[in-house]
Amino acid sequence: MTKEYKNMIRMKLFITILSFFLGSIVVIAQNTKEYDLYINDTIVNYTGKQVKAIAINGKIPGPQLDFTEGDIAVIRVHNKMHHETSIHWHGLILPNEQDGVPYLTTAPIKGMSTHTYTFPIKQSGTYWYHSHTMLQEQVGMYGAFIIHKKGEPKLPEYTVLISDWSDENPHEIERSLHKATDWYAIKKGATQNYLEAAKEGYLGTKFKNEWKRMHAMDVSDVYYERFFINGKVDDEASQFKAGDKVRLRVINGSASTYFWLTYSGGKISVVGSDGEDVVPVEVDRLIVGTSEVYDVVVTIPDDNKAFEFIATSEDRIGHASLWLGQGVRQLKQPLPKLKYFEGMKMMNDMMTLGGNMKDMGMNMSLQKMDMNTVMYPEITGKAGAAKEIMDMKHSEHSGHGKSDTGIVTLNYSMLKAPKKTTLPDVPFRTLKFELTGNMNRYVWTINDKAVSEVDKILIKKGENIRIIITNNSMMRHPMHLHGHYFRVINEHGEYSPLKNVIDVMPMETDIIEFNASEEYGDWFFHCHILYHMMSGMGRIFTYEDSPPNPQIPDPEKALKVVYNDDKRYYLSAEIGLESNGSDGEIRLENTKNFAEVEWRLGFNDSSGYETEAHIGRYLDKKQFFAAYAGWDFRYHSSEESEKNLFGQASTQAKRAVACVGLIYMLPWFVETDLRVDHEGKTRLQFKRDDIPLTSRLRLWASWNTDFEYSAGSRYILTKYWSLSAHYDSDMGLGGGLVLTY
Amino acid sequence: MKTIKNILLMLSLLFVVTGCEGQIKNAKKETVKVYGNCGMCKKTIEKAANEKGVVKADWDIDSNMLTMTYDSAKTNPDAILKKVAYAGYDSDKFRAPDEAYDALHGCCQYDRPVKNTAKAESHDAHKGHDMAVSETKDVQGGLMDKVIASYFAVKDALVKSNGTAVATAAVELTKAIAAVPMDKMTKEQHTIWMKVLPAVKEDAEHIADTKDVKHQREHFTTLSANIYQVLKTFKTNEAVYYQKCPMFNDGKGANWLSKDKDIKNPYYGSAMLTCGSTVETLK
Repeated sequence: MTKEYKNMIRMKLFITILSFFLGSIVVIAQNTKEYDLYINDTIVNYTGKQVKAIAINGKIPGPQLDFTEGDIAVIRVHNKMHHETSIHWHGLILPNEQDGVPYLTTAPIKGMSTHTYTFPIKQSGTYWYHSHTMLQEQVGMYGAFIIHKKGEPKLPEYTVLISDWSDENPHEIERSLHKATDWYAIKKGATQNYLEAAKEGYLGTKFKNEWKRMHAMDVSDVYYERFFINGKVDDEASQFKAGDKVRLRVINGSASTYFWLTYSGGKISVVGSDGEDVVPVEVDRLIVGTSEVYDVVVTIPDDNKAFEFIATSEDRIGHASLWLGQGVRQLKQPLPKLKYFEGMKMMNDMMTLGGNMKDMGMNMSLQKMDMNTVMYPEITGKAGAAKEIMDMKHSEHSGHGKSDTGIVTLNYSMLKAPKKTTLPDVPFRTLKFELTGNMNRYVWTINDKAVSEVDKILIKKGENIRIIITNNSMMRHPMHLHGHYFRVINEHGEYSPLKNVIDVMPMETDIIEFNASEEYGDWFFHCHILYHMMSGMGRIFTYEDSPPNPQIPDPEKALKVVYNDDKRYYLSAEIGLESNGSDGEIRLENTKNFAEVEWRLGFNDSSGYETEAHIGRYLDKKQFFAAYAGWDFRYHSSEESEKNLFGQASTQAKRAVACVGLIYMLPWFVETDLRVDHEGKTRLQFKRDDIPLTSRLRLWASWNTDFEYSAGSRYILTKYWSLSAHYDSDMGLGGGLVLTY
Repeated sequence: MKTIKNILLMLSLLFVVTGCEGQIKNAKKETVKVYGNCGMCKKTIEKAANEKGVVKADWDIDSNMLTMTYDSAKTNPDAILKKVAYAGYDSDKFRAPDEAYDALHGCCQYDRPVKNTAKAESHDAHKGHDMAVSETKDVQGGLMDKVIASYFAVKDALVKSNGTAVATAAVELTKAIAAVPMDKMTKEQHTIWMKVLPAVKEDAEHIADTKDVKHQREHFTTLSANIYQVLKTFKTNEAVYYQKCPMFNDGKGANWLSKDKDIKNPYYGSAMLTCGSTVETLK
């Protein structure tokens, strides 16, 4: 080797080292952008009622955080509350310990303490942030997180952060959902009762629906008093002028609501989803799933009007509006009420008696075939309202697009990435996720297992993961992956769009794939409907050989806290106080287990006293089947000894027995309860509860092999109180009040 | 005696519950301008604004002023004016959706205070529908030409769920069926045609006889199956697609024929327009 050559190498090395240094200087010179977020308990009044909420820097939603690609974000979160919190940066690519899932990736922010997040901004687009602690997101902890491209020209834009609001405490909402309350349906006018069914000619449909053990189907579970855009029912952006093309950064920051987006000023051009650009596509409307993000461009067509950009809740009970421009407010016709019985009819066809969904070989995917369309009057024609239009003699109306299919609705197959999104050429590993759950007990799972019931899914750095997601439940689920983009495989092949949330409709099968491009850590994949996530609908991906996370000093203990979310017990009760005595039960239950106490107490010895206490467990996937053990106590002064159906003599006067039993939910929600006590006595009981006769009137009846029977009715006054009357073979006729908790 | 007491108790409770209706509480009154023309407008405006026990509205034809008496705890003038606008009537605050205004009766189409200055986007949604009626050519020397064409017309009308149009198209179909020149058929074709003729005729007549789309669709299932038989024997020059909807008929499924490869489901129309798949391509 010549000396010159050696010198040259030395020179090269020197330059390399130098440039390395320079490079790091550039890194240091990156713009650091700092924010301080102060989290406070607060009281709000949106409906005339004072209610507790959580505000960030005194506002709901929290402040918009603006960054430019390449910035270093330093965000100090000051928790000024006495309970803990967290903030997750939704859609951001960042180091695992900055992701903000308390106990899993990041230390929880304890009451009266400050936590600093620091991470480089590696992407651009529309994102948002929210609490990942319990149900705090429902009561105000969310805000927009906007990242601009470097040197991006300043164009008209506006952030549209949509949310849902209920005056009810979110923990109470959650408990009520687990109890399968129909109070929300009553509030929405969506009980789909027998009287209504009979009036509209759907009696057979309703019966078949209950026969298949389906409760009244709705597109969303919770009744919300208000929907907001940027915290307001009517938000105004009067700065825009005719001809402006305004980029609306639409973020669905709600806890559990999907929103339809429509615009009174013409078409909506979709230009981005979940922060990533897509090839612009023009539509009349689109639905934005919970936690999903769309960037859309709308044109202000006229100067003397304010045009309405509306977010209508999927159940269509309410909406929030943004007024673009100045002048008289140009309204958009609201989306008409859903035709629930048409939806029920469709569900009847799709659901097997065993409670599984079948897609009848239609290979549904990517929101292309929205089965809910049968419920949309604007597309399939009006049901009840048709008569009204007729007597207004607007027969020429029919020619004007009402029942026509001219409406273009966005679906995932219309999304195309502007650049190829193909993954590195490494082997794929395929996972199959079936989205499962049951509405009756509000249990939501993947492959019938909650987060706490399975191990984390190990992934190797650099490998490609393909997930085939099938939705076998009756609700749609917005599935969100932390810290990674996934490709939503559609007809655009190499140009399949990148997203971090995918809405999977019932019966659909979608394929998503991503490269395990992070370095380390645990990444959550979950349904972003808050109450579904909390009941266990998710999985945790964990990188093999991850280093210990300094924010989680005791990972085993911390993981238990994470798992505890879906293992919690919910209390419920139904207590009747009637003129002939008191009937009631109190239950404590979680995903799989239950404990209950039941009683029937007469006012005198001849009507008798009975109590039963059981603990039990649901055994099958659909939770129609449960087993229990417990004890019964009864006292009855009647002298005659009776024989039951099996010829066993009943010593009803005074009995204290231990028993075991099985419960099975027959079609039409007939609960059969077969038990045997330690004396060998057997009892089989049939009971049907809560037959919805009208919106508020419920009937029930039961009979057992001891020849005891009862039947009654309940008229629902408020969420907790009902009037009741019933006849009982032991206690006779009575009437009074029922407390339903 | 005790029972009677109980019943009385229950009844009195019920009265407390139901006895809350009557006059408007927390009443406030406000008068604003709502644009309109005639007595029919008055009816529509007041109907849209009124809500039992909450809003009582009165619109004056001459002055165009709407007087609203409302329960201020339950609603507000903006909410009422919105409802009026949804029914087609402008106020100075809200402009009715154009489709609501256009839907008003001719005599009600008042002079709007704020006009559309921007060029209205043309509604080209209907474009192309009229062409849909088949230009099928040369189906075996034209023997089945008219039958197939009118079958497609029936199918297209079913896609639009327009019972009247279906019936009209089916009348043409019955005529076409009667006019098929049987003497020009081969023996095999004749056999098939004779076999399906009674059923095809009956279905076409039934479809023509009603405007009930549901009933029409029931007959369309068998009609389609038979026309398919016919097309198999008579052959077509142009591709015809045999398509299937898996849901119709309580999940038993039903088929139809189409000139378009793209699915446009005649059994559900717009409700499930793209539901279905092509099971066979006839050429």
